Amino acid sequence: MTARILVVDDDAAIAEMVGIVLRGEGFDPHFSYDGPAAMEAFASVKPDLVLLDLMLPGMDGIEVCTRIRETSGTPIIMLTAKSDSTDVVRGLESGADDYVVKPFNPKELVARIRTRLRPAAQSSVERLPIGDLVIDVTGHEVTRDGVPIALTPLEFDLLLALAMKPNQVFTREMLLEQVWGYQYKADTRLVNVHVQRLRAKVELDADNPRIVMTVRGVGYRAGTAR
Amino acid sequence: MLTFTWRSLVQRARRLWRGSLQLRTVAITVLLSTLAVTVVSGYMSLSIAANLYEARKNQAIAEARQATVSAQALFDSSVSANGTIDVEAVSRTAQTTIRSVASSPGGTEFAILRTPGQTTEVTMTATQTRALDLSVISDELREQVAQDDGQLYTQAVTLNAATGRPDPGLVVGGVFEVPTAGQYELYLVYNVRDVQQTLDFVQQTLVIGSLLLVGTIGLVTYFVTRLAIGPVRIAAETAEKLAEGELDRRIPEKGEDVIATLARSFNRMADSLQRQITQLATLSRVQQRFVSDVSHELRTPLTTIRLAGDVLYEQRDQFSPTTARTAELLHAQVDRFEAMLADLLEMSRYDAGAVDIDTEPTNLVRLVEESLDALRPLADEKGSELRLVAPGGYFEADVDARRIRRILQNLLGNAVDHGEGRPIVVHVDSDATAVAIAVRDYGVGMDAGQLERVFDRFWRADPSRQRTTGGTGLGLAIATEDAQLHGGTLDVWSEPGEGSCFRLTLPRERGATVHHSPVDLPPAEPLEVDLLGTDGLALERGEEDA
Repeated sequence: MTARILVVDDDAAIAEMVGIVLRGEGFDPHFSYDGPAAMEAFASVKPDLVLLDLMLPGMDGIEVCTRIRETSGTPIIMLTAKSDSTDVVRGLESGADDYVVKPFNPKELVARIRTRLRPAAQSSVERLPIGDLVIDVTGHEVTRDGVPIALTPLEFDLLLALAMKPNQVFTREMLLEQVWGYQYKADTRLVNVHVQRLRAKVELDADNPRIVMTVRGVGYRAGTAR
Repeated sequence: MLTFTWRSLVQRARRLWRGSLQLRTVAITVLLSTLAVTVVSGYMSLSIAANLYEARKNQAIAEARQATVSAQALFDSSVSANGTIDVEAVSRTAQTTIRSVASSPGGTEFAILRTPGQTTEVTMTATQTRALDLSVISDELREQVAQDDGQLYTQAVTLNAATGRPDPGLVVGGVFEVPTAGQYELYLVYNVRDVQQTLDFVQQTLVIGSLLLVGTIGLVTYFVTRLAIGPVRIAAETAEKLAEGELDRRIPEKGEDVIATLARSFNRMADSLQRQITQLATLSRVQQRFVSDVSHELRTPLTTIRLAGDVLYEQRDQFSPTTARTAELLHAQVDRFEAMLADLLEMSRYDAGAVDIDTEPTNLVRLVEESLDALRPLADEKGSELRLVAPGGYFEADVDARRIRRILQNLLGNAVDHGEGRPIVVHVDSDATAVAIAVRDYGVGMDAGQLERVFDRFWRADPSRQRTTGGTGLGLAIATEDAQLHGGTLDVWSEPGEGSCFRLTLPRERGATVHHSPVDLPPAEPLEVDLLGTDGLALERGEEDA
């Protein structure tokens, strides 16, 4: 089945060009050119992934991102013209899974999209414990005492990656490779921001994490199963 | 311990002395006026004493003269017609006369003594008042008086009064002739305690007056200097605050005097300073805003061009050879344009001062290794062998890894481009305060003129040279800025035909600056012998991180 991708960019030329690239790769692109239109299109198209420009007229990309995250875990990749500004962090904090800096090349964009659309890592076991949580691998669900916790696919992947190797300490680079599919050095802020977002959802006390543990100077590891 | 306390006390006093203009002024004024007042009152005291004493002496002499004259007259008139005289009776009368003449305050004693060494028919009994101690009349005085040259002689003496305290005294002596009994000496002994008391009182008054005067001068100086220095102190404090960045600080302007003029000029200066700083800050903000806008505005069309160029490039084998080549050129030049835009934006960020470094403890050896690995395919293509010399082993420095990596890629890229396929050696070493990375190539090198311009923007060593690592002409300029941002330096050595060496020196801790480098320029070369040899040389490495 062809993946539907919603391209949100106020520059029609970029949108069309991205559309050409995506069609060439076998995706089904849909377009909207401002924030409110993006929200409508998101509801009607039900895309599998959103490509979102951060600077939009009407409603900026950050807000669109926040609004989508309120109802859905659909992967969002930001398109940004600023690589080292605080905008990237704000975008990630508002729920974007990944970002691509303009100008980007088609291969890079497609690689990022494919990583976000690929199925989660396969595990031989069906249920995995992490801290006091249970991950239902096939059902794509995380529960605490039988109560499900809503996670985005990316957060689920992140938690699963940690849970599958409970004795392993993951550096940020390892997580970037496993969860985000980066083969080369990338921005470790991606990991930091998403670990914070994940903790906000799964930890009982975010200041004293028990599920995603920090290993000082190295990275993260899974909390001990109860 | 005691000496230490003493020394610290002295130091504190010295600090206070140097620190307070007011203290200095008051102290110097008090000191000088004390000196002046001492001299003046000393002179006054001396001349008053002399005058008082002189007056008393003159009075005493006058009295003594009159007493002597009266006594002489009395004796002369008491001679009876037959030439006899009852000397003892006359003596008693004379004593009464003398007592009445010499009636100065303070009590007067007297003595009538016979001049020794005469033989006469009768002898008058020497007499004296009861309270007089004859020892105060010295022999020298008696000898002078006995000469009988018509003069009166005086001598200052010390009297032991009944009070037990010695009093100053004055002895005046004269002679008179007692008929039939010969020459007698009359001594009047004055107690001049009253003069001394007056003098004491005057001196006491002078001392108290002087002290009061000096105190008043000190106080007046204190208030006057406070009046004059106070505004200056406020001005100094305000200037200090202004220098620290509190641009709103002003001096209160009061009155029309010179201090008010100072305040007004100072405030005008501060106004203009504030205006210019604000203007600069606004300009800087505008500049940063402009950079940010240009960044976005240029990147948007560039993104489309890039995507389009890449799509065409991917399909070039379906085109006619001319169109295919066009697609290739488009692809390559869009890459170059993008790199140039990125460098330009980076440069204008530096110019706007809008750059922050994001430091973390970084292992520079590992960083160099990564950079070498990234460049290896290109170096292999050119035939250059990449070597690392890191005798120092494992160390970390507080640097912005992204920026240092960028510097390294630039230096290594240049080395490969100009290295003529000869080996490229990277030296890494450190000491207590600094780390250094030197990239040495053995290629064409540069002459002095080129060396001078090598860090200039948009300057290229050889424009016609085939570049493989892009190259915008901004690489070394950006590297220099990055190094300076870390408090470090980037310097170069080069000789035509012998190659070049670029050395990056960074402080190990953020915020420090470097003054020396752990690596020489060009570095000492343990590998020199093998440079042109073909046998593989093991990398010299210290202990690597675990």
